Amino acid sequence: MKFQHKVSKGSRFNQIYIPSGMQQYFQAGDIVEVRLVEKNNFLFFSKNLKEISEFKEKLAKDIFFSLKDFNIKQAFLVGSFLTKKVDYNDIDLLIVSNHENEEKIYNFLAEKFNLKFHILVIKEENFSKLLEICPLTRSMLFYYISNKEFKGLPKRVLDKKHINFLLMMPKDLLEVKAESRVFYDSIRRLLAIDYFLRAKNEDTCKIDVEIEKIIGKDLFEIIRRNGTITDKEFLLLRKIIKQKLNSIQQRL
Amino acid sequence: MSKNSSTNELINLLVKSLRHKIGGIVNLNEIYAQKYSKDAEVLFKEAEKVCRKENCHNYDKERIKNELKENLLIELKKCDFLDNRKFDIMDEEIGLALRVLGLD
Repeated sequence: MKFQHKVSKGSRFNQIYIPSGMQQYFQAGDIVEVRLVEKNNFLFFSKNLKEISEFKEKLAKDIFFSLKDFNIKQAFLVGSFLTKKVDYNDIDLLIVSNHENEEKIYNFLAEKFNLKFHILVIKEENFSKLLEICPLTRSMLFYYISNKEFKGLPKRVLDKKHINFLLMMPKDLLEVKAESRVFYDSIRRLLAIDYFLRAKNEDTCKIDVEIEKIIGKDLFEIIRRNGTITDKEFLLLRKIIKQKLNSIQQRL
Repeated sequence: MSKNSSTNELINLLVKSLRHKIGGIVNLNEIYAQKYSKDAEVLFKEAEKVCRKENCHNYDKERIKNELKENLLIELKKCDFLDNRKFDIMDEEIGLALRVLGLD
C-alpha cells in the first residue's frame, strides 16, 4: 500500500499525516519508508522560524523564482516580514552575489511585485566573514527563508574593530538628538552585540522582548513606530544606551 | 536656541554624520556599505533640519567649514578602528556635504 502526501510544518517537527481512508493499512507500530518524490520549489527555512503563512510562503517562492535570471549565489528573506504577522514595513532581502547591485534588483522586484523591498547585496567572501564577526548579520539570519540550503551560523570570531565601528552610532546618540526610531535601532544593535559577546543566540524576537521589558510596552511601541517622545523618555533611552555601552566596553 | 549654539549643533551633527560615511567607505569597502550608510544618513537628516532653521551668512559658512574640518580631523584620529584612508577622502566628503546643505 502506498500514498503520496505533502509534508507539513509542525510546531516542533515536520510531519506527514496518514489520509483517513488509509488508516486501516497504516497503523501505529507499522514500519514505513519515506522517499522524496518532488522537492517543494526549493524553500529552505531557518529552524528558528516556527510559522509562516501560505501567502508569505507563496510570495517567497515567487520572489526567488523571479530572481533566477540574476547572477546570484544565494538569496535570503529576512527581517520583520518573517517575524511579524502583519506589522512589517518592507521585505528585507539579503542577496549573496559577486556581480549584482542593489538598485538593479530593487527596481526589478518593485516593478514586478509592486511591494516595498529593502535589498542588501553582499559579496560571497564578505558574507562568510560577516557571519563570523558581525552581530547584526547574525541576528538578521536568525530567522530566514532561503532559496538554497544554509549550513547555519559559524563560530563567532571577535573583531574589535568591527564592534567598535558598530558602536559609533549608539555612542553618538549620547550627544545628539535623533528620531525615536533611531534610538530603538541603536538599543537593538547594542543588545545584539551584547548577546554576541556573551555567545548567546542573536535572536531578534528575544531582543525585542528584552527591550520591552526594560522600557515598558508603551514606550517600546512608540519608538518602534518612530513616534514622538517626551524629554523624560528621551533621557531614559540615553541612560539605557549608556548602561549597555558600559557593559559592552567591559567585555571588549 | 541661540545662533551660536545651533551652529555648534549643526557642526557636531555634520562631524558625526561624516565620520559614519567615511567609516563606511574606508573600513568596510563594499561590505554592507548600504546598511552602514544609513547611520550617516540619519545624522545628516538631523543636520539638514538644523540647517533649514538657520540663516547662514558667508562668515557663518566659513566658520562652519573651518570648524567642521578641524573637529572631523580630531574625531577621525580618535577612531583608530577606521582605515587610514579616512584622511584622504575627508576634504572631498566635507565639500560634498556642504554643497548639499547650500553652505559651500
